[in-house]
Amino acid sequence: MLRTRIIPTLLLRNESLVKTVRFGKFTYVGDPANTVRIFNELEVDELLFLDITASRERRSPNLKVLADIADECFMPLSYGGGVCSLDQAKGVFDIGFEKIAINTHASEKPGLIGEIAARYGSQAVIASIDVKTGLFGSQTVQILGGKRNTGRDPVAWGKEAESMGAGEILLTSIDREGTWDGFDLRLVKRVTDAVSIPVIAHGGAGSIDHIRQVVKEAHASAVALGSMVVFQKKGMGVLVGFPDQNKREEALA
Amino acid sequence: MITIVNYGMGNLGSILNMFKRIGVPARIESEPQAIEQAEKLVLPGVGAFDAAMTRINNAAGLSELLDRKALVDQVPILGVCLGMQMLTRSSEEGTLPGLGWIPAVTTRFPKLDGLKVPHMGWNVAKLNTPSALTVETGPEPRYYFVHSYCVHVDDPAHSLMRTHYGVDFDSGIGRENIYGVQFHPEKSHRFGMQILKNFAAL
Amino acid sequence: MLLSPDINQVDLRICSRCIYDERVPAISFDNEDVCNYCRQVESLIEQYGTGQPKGEALFGAILDDIRRSGQRKTYDCIVGVSGGTDSSYLVGLAKEWGLRPLAVHYDNTWNSSIATMNIRKVLAGLNVDLCTHVVANKEADDIFRAFFLAGVAEIEAATDLGYAYLLRKVAARYSIKYILEGHSFVEEGITPLGRNYFDGRYIQAIHQQFGRRRMETFPLMTFSRFLKSALFDQVKFIRPLWYVRYAKDEAKAFLSERFGWQYYGGHHLENRMTAFYHSVYLPQKFGSDMRNNTLAARVRNCTMSRTAAWAEYNTSPYVEEELVSYFKKRLDLSDELYEEVMQAPPKNWTDYPTYKERFERLRPLFYMLAKANRVPMSFYLKYCFPAKAPA
Repeated sequence: MLRTRIIPTLLLRNESLVKTVRFGKFTYVGDPANTVRIFNELEVDELLFLDITASRERRSPNLKVLADIADECFMPLSYGGGVCSLDQAKGVFDIGFEKIAINTHASEKPGLIGEIAARYGSQAVIASIDVKTGLFGSQTVQILGGKRNTGRDPVAWGKEAESMGAGEILLTSIDREGTWDGFDLRLVKRVTDAVSIPVIAHGGAGSIDHIRQVVKEAHASAVALGSMVVFQKKGMGVLVGFPDQNKREEALA
Repeated sequence: MITIVNYGMGNLGSILNMFKRIGVPARIESEPQAIEQAEKLVLPGVGAFDAAMTRINNAAGLSELLDRKALVDQVPILGVCLGMQMLTRSSEEGTLPGLGWIPAVTTRFPKLDGLKVPHMGWNVAKLNTPSALTVETGPEPRYYFVHSYCVHVDDPAHSLMRTHYGVDFDSGIGRENIYGVQFHPEKSHRFGMQILKNFAAL
Repeated sequence: MLLSPDINQVDLRICSRCIYDERVPAISFDNEDVCNYCRQVESLIEQYGTGQPKGEALFGAILDDIRRSGQRKTYDCIVGVSGGTDSSYLVGLAKEWGLRPLAVHYDNTWNSSIATMNIRKVLAGLNVDLCTHVVANKEADDIFRAFFLAGVAEIEAATDLGYAYLLRKVAARYSIKYILEGHSFVEEGITPLGRNYFDGRYIQAIHQQFGRRRMETFPLMTFSRFLKSALFDQVKFIRPLWYVRYAKDEAKAFLSERFGWQYYGGHHLENRMTAFYHSVYLPQKFGSDMRNNTLAARVRNCTMSRTAAWAEYNTSPYVEEELVSYFKKRLDLSDELYEEVMQAPPKNWTDYPTYKERFERLRPLFYMLAKANRVPMSFYLKYCFPAKAPA
């Protein structure tokens, strides 16, 4: 049977790994390639790297850092951050990444997801959707690392991404990110109910129980972990790790 | 020396990287003269069936050369992912014939309720017919899969590994010197390393 | 630099008790042919009562004070952890002594997975919280590179100082009065000052001259910050293993059985910069091999024979494949530049500005601080006396 994927999600800021809270304050986590070696040893299923300032800085992916990372990795790798053309996507795929996540440029270049999916297959394209809750409770899609509000509804945008050819959705709750408070189950379920492609829930995981909830109750196909894989525990120091295999299997059985 | 065939599609660098990590000399080649010298071949592949077969057929002399290496010289050959599907005689994904080196056919995953296609993620392969390719993999090896089409062999003896996803399909196949794995060994940690080690030791 | 592994075949003066030979900086031999370092360890054992009732009593008093000073606080002491044997075992001891430790780790971004996993396993097994400081990787690399280009041996100076200062900073932040550190002179000896000098001025000077990036996340302990911590924050620096009985082999067995902890194999595999420093940089550029520190200590405490220790000392160190290419890649060194620096004549810490003179001038003050455990006694012994530059 297919295991539910639990994906450590590492944030790249220039050439360092960092961790943010609500897309704001950041802490240094380490050297990207060196940290990947540790995840290799831990035999995680898959890794996702997000360059969190690329789009905002109108910068293309840092291929040198990505090549260093790919050299160390013997499991599937996904990358997101600043990809705005088929050519750039090719550059990243050629280095050895399996999938590319498109966020800002899915909005700014409507044909991009379709173009990459046509050439590399839908399973190689992840539509990355960042969601923030406004003052009056409405949830909207943000781009440029949470800096610009598109006004779009996440469910509608998710459906559109699916129709454009995305193979998966990475759904990130900006409000929950780095808080250890649990996923936004309602948001995740609204999207999983509306699309037929897998949804990766991201933002807020603080325990195995949260993981179980978002998979069993909100029907996420996979889970992306941030704080849980880079800190010893909530409020404590940086220590790279991965939830124990037995605990994972027990929770997701 | 293991030669990884570069016909324009596939995870070449990653496969090379894993060989390097396990200390096995390998290289990537696209020129027929170089492929001619190969003692063992790896046929990678990511993407669509017809696109891959077209490239092979269009590359001058490549198709004949591969047939000769496989069926006459009988060097060990390993097809990976789409590369394994190409070993079969045809695929429902396309209209062109495959290499047909192993009597088998590639079909789409059935439309079953709740079965998300492509089959993407880590799944278990159960060993079937014993083979030099699958020694020391342990009882329940798991590998990374990403594919929308799966292979069924005509003769069960050619099925080396079977995996379940909606249906049972052959995740590892082999006949004489020709082998194929549906999963990506280069993305499957130590499980993948074992497969590549075994292939190198043939 | 490697001599005959047969100790009887060698034409050098070697201590009759350990394996330090005449090449060790500032060594002298008495009329029993015993070296001054062995005598130093003897005198420390006497002073601290290591592993004897005197040591237990001395330490018992310290323990009482730790508990008392930590009342009504979440943590009563800090334990520096690296993932290695001594620090991992020390956390376990701290819990056994009924203390509430906060583990502190300094991450220079070159850690191997073994170090990370060991820290995780031991702390999870003991239910101890961890505080870490991670230096920005590019900044850490810039400082390493500066030291490499400066031609001096102390490429790890920033790590050592950063660690020392981090312990003090975290202690101050949480108002903790005691730092426990896992050094054991019985198991490791006291490293002769020779080529492992570090202080804030030294690091600053070399970084200013050879660095390319600003220092922003590196915790630099200047002289005033050092004094502030020692004098005003009233933080005490204790090395429990100087008082209580400690056998490294037993510790390793306990840790692996209880927590699944993994031994590095003595090749410094816990951190790749440390591995480079010990197995490539020191031997190849400085003809210096620090393995004799631990080996000599093991001979002194009778866990290894003198002949076996000498033999091991004179076999080539294990070097991880691709360690050098990793080093060059991270520090942005072309092959040519790397070779040029490795071949160039070694420089010494005496060639650069340091606080050394100031430490010597203030010896009486540091003596008092060392006696009061405000600074490590080993700091006083190494830094407050004039040192000859190594040959």
